[in-house]
Amino acid sequence: MIQFSHVSKIYPNGTVALKDVTLEIQQGEFVAIIGLSGAGKSTLIKLINKMTDVTEGSLIVNKSDVRRLQGAELRRFRRRIGIVFQSFNLINRTSVINNVLAARVADMNFFSTLLGLYSRDDKLLALESLDNVGILEKAYSRADQLSGGQQQRVALARTLAQKPSIILADEPVASLDPITANQIMKDFKRINVDHNITVIANMHHVDMALKYANRVIGINKGEIVFDGPSSQVNEDLLKKIYGREITDEDIMFKKTLGE
Amino acid sequence: MNEKQKKRSTGDSESERLKRPRPVKAFLDRLAARNLAHRTTTLSNGATIVRPFSWSLTNSLIILVIFLFFWDMIVGAYFDKYDFMIFVRRIPNFLNILQKMWTEFDWSYFDFVVDPMVDTIQMALLGTAIGAVFSLPVAFLASANIVKSKIVSGVVKTILSFVRTFPTLVYAAILAFIFGYGTLIGVLATAIFTFGILTKMLFEVIETLDLSSFVAIEATGASKGKAFITSVIPQIMGSFLSFTLYSIEINIRSSAILGYVGAGGVGIMLDENMNWRRYGNIGVILVVLFVSVLIIENISRYLRKKLS
Repeated sequence: MIQFSHVSKIYPNGTVALKDVTLEIQQGEFVAIIGLSGAGKSTLIKLINKMTDVTEGSLIVNKSDVRRLQGAELRRFRRRIGIVFQSFNLINRTSVINNVLAARVADMNFFSTLLGLYSRDDKLLALESLDNVGILEKAYSRADQLSGGQQQRVALARTLAQKPSIILADEPVASLDPITANQIMKDFKRINVDHNITVIANMHHVDMALKYANRVIGINKGEIVFDGPSSQVNEDLLKKIYGREITDEDIMFKKTLGE
Repeated sequence: MNEKQKKRSTGDSESERLKRPRPVKAFLDRLAARNLAHRTTTLSNGATIVRPFSWSLTNSLIILVIFLFFWDMIVGAYFDKYDFMIFVRRIPNFLNILQKMWTEFDWSYFDFVVDPMVDTIQMALLGTAIGAVFSLPVAFLASANIVKSKIVSGVVKTILSFVRTFPTLVYAAILAFIFGYGTLIGVLATAIFTFGILTKMLFEVIETLDLSSFVAIEATGASKGKAFITSVIPQIMGSFLSFTLYSIEINIRSSAILGYVGAGGVGIMLDENMNWRRYGNIGVILVVLFVSVLIIENISRYLRKKLS
């Protein structure tokens, strides 16, 4: 469970990224965060695994007070939280399987890491994660030889190999074509349902968010302006979240929203 | 008397200082105003944009002045003292030695050269290997984008530039003074030198790296060290091997001379034969050295090409 209460984030340069955010996310939810660029979507995600610090308020994730975490305790906390990035963030000059195994080094001792000695269980887990996202046959290819969609699948498999309870996704499909994006979102959905893993995703495209998430959080200028089931989202609400009419740019499949 | 002086001085500082004409400041102000006007562009619709002040021209001028100053001081003074004609007049001496190397050349000396030459190559290879092993973790500490503390990376970088101040020969001389003569000090000197240059080249590569994968591994809860091993090392491995091979080339050449300060290898023989004026033997040593360097350089170049 994730609990934000009166959380604010002010960056050192004075930018207020989030203002008095209070929300609760239960285990197993699929939450999409929508809003304009710069509204504070990424910040909200990065606060959860402490890639950036809370300025005010309290944030409890999996019963840990995130503001107090540091050092070894923070690293232990992060093991249960996966994150998927817009630009995949894979290690390019190495194989797919090594990329997935990289998620295991947090649990290994230093010398095994140095020598790249992964246990049989870890290797099996990595291959199973790859199989889970349907690219087992690419396990021994080099990561930079894959297409964008395949790379994002590798990133997803890497996250799965962490055995996370929460997966954070920062614009996971924004740099993919619509068809591939749809497939990746299906993978997220399946993982969410099958393993009861909480998924929190920043979505640039409204239609994708509504299609896959059970719950939508709309952010405008650092404030939550909507928080509810995706079925409740209508044109008026979107206007409130975006502060303007929805344009073609906000939609990945242009027809979906009208239906 | 004293009071009078006091009065006058206070009067001076209070009112007159403000009134006093200040030609330098006025000149600088005018210069600044002209410069500002020069940097401002006005568009046809009246919008203005000011190009930010750039130090680049000023800096080049300063560097030019410093350069001219030192040119005169060092190069000028040197040519005053040193009679350039001595160089020309003594060229025949050099030709004489070359001729002797050729006429007195004796292949039977080859047998004596092989062992020291092998020592020299071993010294270079082992030294490079040791230096290379230590360069990776220190390059990690020196990279400002990985170790976020500016103090740590700054201190490490300062120590590294200090290490790089001396060439291998100086380290060998110092080490010979401490540990006595032998091939070991050649290995150590080569290792220290290699460590210095390799670390610098590595952290410069690391600092220009795309660290997105490093961030991703860190986000899984791995420590910086583990994230570095899994995500940065695969990315720099190619550069690392290539730099190491290049260091071997440099070190083979420099280790040939290390014998002069007592580090063993082929350098001792060069020194001895030079003292005894046995130019034929020197010829043999130079041929062996030349061929060895050529072979190793070509192997290294071939491997580096394969790497890239």
